Amino acid sequence: MDIADFRAGLRAWFTTHDLTPPPAAPADVGAHVAQLSRVRRELWDAGWMRYGWPESVGGLGGPAVLRAILGEEVAARDLADSGFFTLVEILVPTMIDYAPPELAAELVPKLLSGAEQWCQGFSEPGSGSDLASLSTRAVPQEDSWIVNGQKVWTSLAQYSQRCVLLTRTAPGHGGITAFLVDLDTPGITIRPLRTMDGAEEFCEVFYDDVVVPSSRMLGQPGDGWRVATDILPYERSTCFWHRSSFLFSRLDRLVGEAEEPDAGAIGSAYLSLYTARARCRETVRRFDTGGKLGPETSVDKILLQTAEQELFDSARDLIPGAVELDDESPWRQEYLYSRAATIYGGTAEIQRNIVARRLLDLGKEQ
Amino acid sequence: MDAEELNLLSQTLAKTMAATPSGPVLCSALNELGWREMLAETPDVAVPLVFRLLGETGAHAPLLADVTGTGTLPYAGGSWVSWSREDAEILPVRRTEAGTPLSPEALAAGRRAAGWWLLGTGRAMLELARAHALDRQQFGKPIASFQAVRHKLAETFVALDGASAVLSAAGTGELPALLAKAAAGRAALLASRHCQQVLAGIGFTSEHSLHIHVKRVLVLDGLLGSTRELTAEAGRLVIDSGAAPRLIDL
Repeated sequence: MDIADFRAGLRAWFTTHDLTPPPAAPADVGAHVAQLSRVRRELWDAGWMRYGWPESVGGLGGPAVLRAILGEEVAARDLADSGFFTLVEILVPTMIDYAPPELAAELVPKLLSGAEQWCQGFSEPGSGSDLASLSTRAVPQEDSWIVNGQKVWTSLAQYSQRCVLLTRTAPGHGGITAFLVDLDTPGITIRPLRTMDGAEEFCEVFYDDVVVPSSRMLGQPGDGWRVATDILPYERSTCFWHRSSFLFSRLDRLVGEAEEPDAGAIGSAYLSLYTARARCRETVRRFDTGGKLGPETSVDKILLQTAEQELFDSARDLIPGAVELDDESPWRQEYLYSRAATIYGGTAEIQRNIVARRLLDLGKEQ
Repeated sequence: MDAEELNLLSQTLAKTMAATPSGPVLCSALNELGWREMLAETPDVAVPLVFRLLGETGAHAPLLADVTGTGTLPYAGGSWVSWSREDAEILPVRRTEAGTPLSPEALAAGRRAAGWWLLGTGRAMLELARAHALDRQQFGKPIASFQAVRHKLAETFVALDGASAVLSAAGTGELPALLAKAAAGRAALLASRHCQQVLAGIGFTSEHSLHIHVKRVLVLDGLLGSTRELTAEAGRLVIDSGAAPRLIDL
């Protein structure tokens, strides 16, 4: 389907299908997840959620850019949390590329249609920026693998049915193996983690002698690092486009709510966000025409995370008290969440290290 | 023009700029290479290429007058400058009486061109700082191995790449051109600060070429509206219209 037709059709559909979320506290993650499921289900039933995904997983085909447009339209209407809505971008490609085809065909539609939530078990208490040092072990036993260890920062684990889990099966980068694990398997304990924005989005997940069938392995033993890094192009194209669209909606809201908007501050936030969007479009287009994405997407990440924090800093400046005095203000939760923008998905420092080493060719650090 | 032709043209232009004295002589040389015809026929190719290369090579020529149609240009703070055709190390720009206001189209075209020039200048500074960081040894190792130095260069790279995307998206229209000049000015000013710091003592001498780029960025930033002024103008526009124009779509 043509991009313009898709956008026009989707916009027309939204005029007759009101998916506005019911009122909920900004930090009420349960309400956001319920709304997310509803939005996905409606969009799936109407077909919109199926464009851009291959027919082998229940999709209707077409370019991935259609998914970027869907996310933008959802963000523009504030129908679902942009971070949650975009999770499928980092889960489904893994399934398409690494899961046994029949498994992907069976389960992916459940995720895309809102029947299920899934999560991603990558980070560990001892493995943040240095993800490849992860130590959650998987040991083979007959037709299964026995998993022991602990994950952290697993988004929405308490609402999820399944998890893409990275485990250690041998030493080094080549000794990481990925599985799709059912979270109702005995031995899994999920403990939500309250973050400074008052939300319980992230979880600690403990794995004690968890039995995972070999048929749930994603790829081959040792493919796990590739599974992790292959997600990057999706995160850095479609997901970033969604995020920049969300941030634009917040800039509009800021201009509407600020009593004395400062032209310099608004202009600067706009310029930063516009720059991130211009860069992101180049990346989305390159990816969509078959280009390979690599370390240069660290530029996109730095531009976007910087723009996000500048925007919410300006909001705090121009709507005095909203962040620190008004408990129920959405600015409070969103401002506080934006503090993590330079931490998650590879810290600001790691991104700069990548730019220095891979793009500027400055050689090794001391 | 295909990629190979463009590459060849780019090399010819860069060589000419490097080998010819800046000012009227370079202007004649570029005219002989067909600058004015290119500007008339394919401005979308000619302007980004020629102005970026002026920045990267550190050359200058009075080509903004060809783009805007006048050598008397508005400058920051409501002042005016004129472009004299004399040879000068930095840029032959001096204060003058108020001139005729530029048409919106001429102003936008001038801002795009100045933006590409700023971008090229920023890249020239980054290359100087990068080479120095790899070459300069302290504490028994190249200073490029220190994270504080690496991150300054990385931030410069990111800012310049971001500005490049904004410039590339500024095909036509006044607001895209305004944003492009602002993004390029912001990136070039950041590049000046970071590269000056990385180049440290040697970059503070007039024996090193950094100072020419640094001073040129200051002048180019002021031309046709400074980063600060343009950013505030964009802000007023957003405030007045009650929403931020997206301008860029997939």
